[in-house]
Amino acid sequence: MLSVTARKQFGDFILDAAWTTDQPIVALVGPSGSGKTLTLQCIAGLIAPDSGRIVSAGRTLFDSAERVNLPPQQRRIGYVFQGYALFPHMTVARNIAYGVPRGADGRDRASERTKRIIDRLGINPLSARYPSELSGGQQQRVALARALATDPDVLLLDEPFSALDAPLRRELSAELSQTLREWGKIAVLVTHDLPEAYQIADMVVLYEHGSTTAAVSKNDLLWNPSSERVARLIGARNILHAAIADASGDSIILDWRGGRLEAARSPSHALHARAGDSLAFFVRPEYVRLIRKNRPVTDGLRHTNLFHGEIVGERDEGTTWVLFFRLAREGRPSQGLYDLEIEIPKLVYERLGISTDRHWDVSIHPGSIQVLPGR
Amino acid sequence: MGPRERRGVERGEGPPRLNMDWFPVWLSLRVALLASAVTVVLGVPLAWLLARRRFPGRDVISAALLSPLVLPPTVLGYYLLMLIGARGVVGRTLAGWNIELAFTWRAAVLAAAVGSFPLLIRTAQSGFESVDRRLEQAAQTLGHSELSIFWTISVPLAWRAILAGTVLAFCRAFGDFGITLMVAGNIPGRTQTLPLAIYDHVQANQLGQANVLSLLSIGIFLTLMLALGRAARLRF
Repeated sequence: MLSVTARKQFGDFILDAAWTTDQPIVALVGPSGSGKTLTLQCIAGLIAPDSGRIVSAGRTLFDSAERVNLPPQQRRIGYVFQGYALFPHMTVARNIAYGVPRGADGRDRASERTKRIIDRLGINPLSARYPSELSGGQQQRVALARALATDPDVLLLDEPFSALDAPLRRELSAELSQTLREWGKIAVLVTHDLPEAYQIADMVVLYEHGSTTAAVSKNDLLWNPSSERVARLIGARNILHAAIADASGDSIILDWRGGRLEAARSPSHALHARAGDSLAFFVRPEYVRLIRKNRPVTDGLRHTNLFHGEIVGERDEGTTWVLFFRLAREGRPSQGLYDLEIEIPKLVYERLGISTDRHWDVSIHPGSIQVLPGR
Repeated sequence: MGPRERRGVERGEGPPRLNMDWFPVWLSLRVALLASAVTVVLGVPLAWLLARRRFPGRDVISAALLSPLVLPPTVLGYYLLMLIGARGVVGRTLAGWNIELAFTWRAAVLAAAVGSFPLLIRTAQSGFESVDRRLEQAAQTLGHSELSIFWTISVPLAWRAILAGTVLAFCRAFGDFGITLMVAGNIPGRTQTLPLAIYDHVQANQLGQANVLSLLSIGIFLTLMLALGRAARLRF
């Protein structure tokens, strides 16, 4: 269990982080300068928050009300720094031994479990080398081993892949996830890359301008975001607004662009809204379906949420195409020049001859419309 | 002193021979060594503090440390003398313990140390500042005390800058003139260091001796700066 409340002001910037996790791996995700690294520094005791409380594994590390502020040396927090911060003048062996707690007899007191994990990182053949002689992946393993060797309660990892190339990133993120799970205590991972966080972590905390959302499970975050703000932070596209026409049934009927839109309810977030209220929702661009024209029937029974319109723009993204679709309706399009972003595979784009044929019917499955109950 | 002796050259059989007094050379070497030792022992920790800590009075200390570089040496020497002289605070205290400071070789060490202090501080401070902060933070999270981090991380990673600063400090200490003259005087055989001896030789028109001592200084300077500097890849 790790619980963090930390508030600190740096000129105009205010860090105001508050989250709790009991899952093994939590990822702090947000753009650079949003306070992720600052939070790690607060947890590690490298900077003191102006106010707040940090509790790790039942020990209070910091509490402004109780005037508790343990020094970094006593916090039992392992820290893998961005760029790894290996000691350049020490061999790999000395780097790892540097933080190992030693008993009165000088023998190292790291637990068997820790030793086993370090053994499995495959660093032994590198012991006599200096950090400058290691590849990025090897440096990462050494940094991990050095932090784990102290037997910490919590491990902090600041952008552990930022120094690596893309193919190596993917390979090592799987490896890191496995190592951390095997280790079994709490790890906090900082990244600006949501897919990376999704691959490795159980819980995600979103950062924006120093403030945070609560830690939520990664599935909830992606498939059931709680609010419009969260949807924006995870990069959701087609975030739209509509008035509620009817919220009494199993699904929610929205009044959008002069037509009816049927949306499924969020399975976990209750909707406290009535007919007439405004509601935010988003539609995943890859879930909007183009209706083939050579099929005779395009009736409302087979296709819910059927709209006619025109493709007014497009973008080639390599394996997929993004189409900008404007409904054939009166009034201003909901996203400026268009109403919906639609993403289709390149193959489909070519089969349907979209480069020449611009007028289409589209349908949106109610389950792919995600209502955003919160603000 | 007769006219012959004044010129410092004894004429007689064979080539002219210089009548050299080597005392100032040994005194200067001893003073410079002791002064740079004092400078290193006090200066390196202070340089680390200035590089790594924000504390009240830091700017004042920084400015004060710069003063030997910019103030006239006589001004500095004058205030030092006020401090360590018979009526000065330090002078009286030391007198209580039967230690004489002003106008002794110890005062020359003090003068040389004061003059060379800023050179060491500036070089070592920028050396410490160029050590990646995260290395020291990593050491903290690995359970090491500040003192341990200083010895195992900061100093080993800044040693080139510290050594460069020490060489500069030694050379500066070896060559101090103004401050030394003010607080240690120019007593031949007691406090007359090499730069003061050169001055006296020139005053006495003993250009031969002045030349020998000057060339010797340049030799020491070049050896340290070039040979040691290159061997240890120092940047001054």
